[in-house]
Amino acid sequence: MPATLAEKILARASGRDRVEPGEVIWVTPDLVTTPEVSFPAYVKRLRDNGIDRFALPERVVVAIDHEVPVHSREGAERNRLTRQLARETGVGHLFDGEGITHPLVIERGLVRPLSFVAAADTHTPSLGGVGALGIPFGIELTMILATGRIWVKVPETVRVEIGGRCPPGVTARDLVLAVMTRIDADLANYRIIELGGDAVAALSIPERMTLCGLCVDMGAKSAVTEVDERCVAFLAERGVADAAPVRSDPGCRYAEVIAFDASTLAPQVSIPPSPTHVRPVTELAHTAIQHAYIGSCASGTLAELSAAADLLEGRRVHADVQMLVIPATRRIYQQAMEQGVLARLSAAGAMVSPPTCGPCFGGLAQLAAGEARISTSTRNDPGRMGSRDATIYLGSALTVAASAVAGRIADPRDFLPAERKDIAP
Amino acid sequence: MTDAYSGRCWRFGDDLASDQLIPPQHVFEYDPAVLRRHLLAELRPELSQQAAPGDLVVTGRNFANGSNHSHPFLAMKEMGVGLICASISRGPFRLAVFMGIPLLVAGAEIIAQLGDGDALRVDFATGDIRNESTGRRFTVEPLSPFLLDIIAAGGGLTYARSLLATEGTDHAKR
Repeated sequence: MPATLAEKILARASGRDRVEPGEVIWVTPDLVTTPEVSFPAYVKRLRDNGIDRFALPERVVVAIDHEVPVHSREGAERNRLTRQLARETGVGHLFDGEGITHPLVIERGLVRPLSFVAAADTHTPSLGGVGALGIPFGIELTMILATGRIWVKVPETVRVEIGGRCPPGVTARDLVLAVMTRIDADLANYRIIELGGDAVAALSIPERMTLCGLCVDMGAKSAVTEVDERCVAFLAERGVADAAPVRSDPGCRYAEVIAFDASTLAPQVSIPPSPTHVRPVTELAHTAIQHAYIGSCASGTLAELSAAADLLEGRRVHADVQMLVIPATRRIYQQAMEQGVLARLSAAGAMVSPPTCGPCFGGLAQLAAGEARISTSTRNDPGRMGSRDATIYLGSALTVAASAVAGRIADPRDFLPAERKDIAP
Repeated sequence: MTDAYSGRCWRFGDDLASDQLIPPQHVFEYDPAVLRRHLLAELRPELSQQAAPGDLVVTGRNFANGSNHSHPFLAMKEMGVGLICASISRGPFRLAVFMGIPLLVAGAEIIAQLGDGDALRVDFATGDIRNESTGRRFTVEPLSPFLLDIIAAGGGLTYARSLLATEGTDHAKR
């Protein structure tokens, strides 16, 4: 029987030849990730229930990423406790200020194609960019830490086939926003989104991670892209040996197949109250913004920082705009520094902070009532970045950089120099 | 728990948001005895006083949507009530199992036949729903045996503890 990529992953994780959509199965995650904002609470809950050790501690990743550098007294205590408990429980990896969990575990070669990753944090589906299945479990991570396994209802897959190529100024963010306009919550719920086609094959691996990571915001259980030679080479550079291309079998069953062409797309923006409220950037032109942010697990890649720096070349961030840039990991920070990208961003008037989730959930650079920010982060629920009466728009790094210069939401295509217009970052 | 619940039907409508089940100002409250007093209190102030173990909360579609908080389920567990709803998304479904609340999903046409105050008998293992007040009987997809085991143990963590006691961590090998 032909299987989808997600079914292959779940079959492997459950030690079976195949699984059927709708079945409830036990799976043993290859990796279990939790940030510091959850970890001490999980350990306490387990200890309160008489469980004081993890079944497979070597598979557990604890990342201090939400509040870095720490800037509250309770955060300081939480971080201290996180380090102590990580030692006591013997977890495989404690990443202390090294970057945001999801891009970090890829960067460190901890995730392979067909891996099953259980996470505390919502945006783990970005691991689908290397053909792994990342699923958020929240508080149920306690059960996974205790027993090493978790139940999963095998989901159906929705195939999204994206043909053509992104035109200049149109990025992976714009692609996933275009997907959101075609898949509603009823279709996405309890399903895997599988993204493929020429437009996806043309994307870099970090861009595919952006694509997959944001699928959770349309209500999907997770998302995944095919593993091709480009992905295998990317992983090999990060120490993942012997990975091989893998994809869904021809003739496998999809709940639905949705197809569209990337070459006719324009830059798009999510407006409040949620990421699925998508509008063409041109409809929002002249919307004033006072804050611009490039970063988060869905962004903050070296390519995006470079593209933003290119767009800002010879320009300055508008006098009424605070622009903040946060590389997603310390390694990206380091590379961007060595390549002069951070210097160019800073020269154009942007602030640069060390890797953290910070602003994405209002932990840093909060917004006041009446203010507006355009951001590459994951969600724009009212109140997510401070005041409930602030407005959050979500767009690509190019759209954010263009808007930062204009002081209003701007179409990045108006800012691309003629000779760079063939490059879609 | 046994696989079957017998009790009163507490009937509610569609789209009960998590924040409506327990108002968000109680988000830092984890004492089940306190939380039960707030469960659906704005809609049915008498629920906390009158609900008895074995009773069933019966709702329309999209139960506990919105914030993924365990509080409503802590309160339901304290009351000892089960759940029948027309639909529930992944997050709250998993939370219900993790907290040890038995539940069934039934079509809207079945929900419409379960009136407030009716005497119900519900078998979560077979999917059998009997309305003893009207004599009508319905069958829906039962809970998976896996999930029944977790719920019967009292939820994810008590299940984990008993699993560790009987098998150690051998089950995690594959």
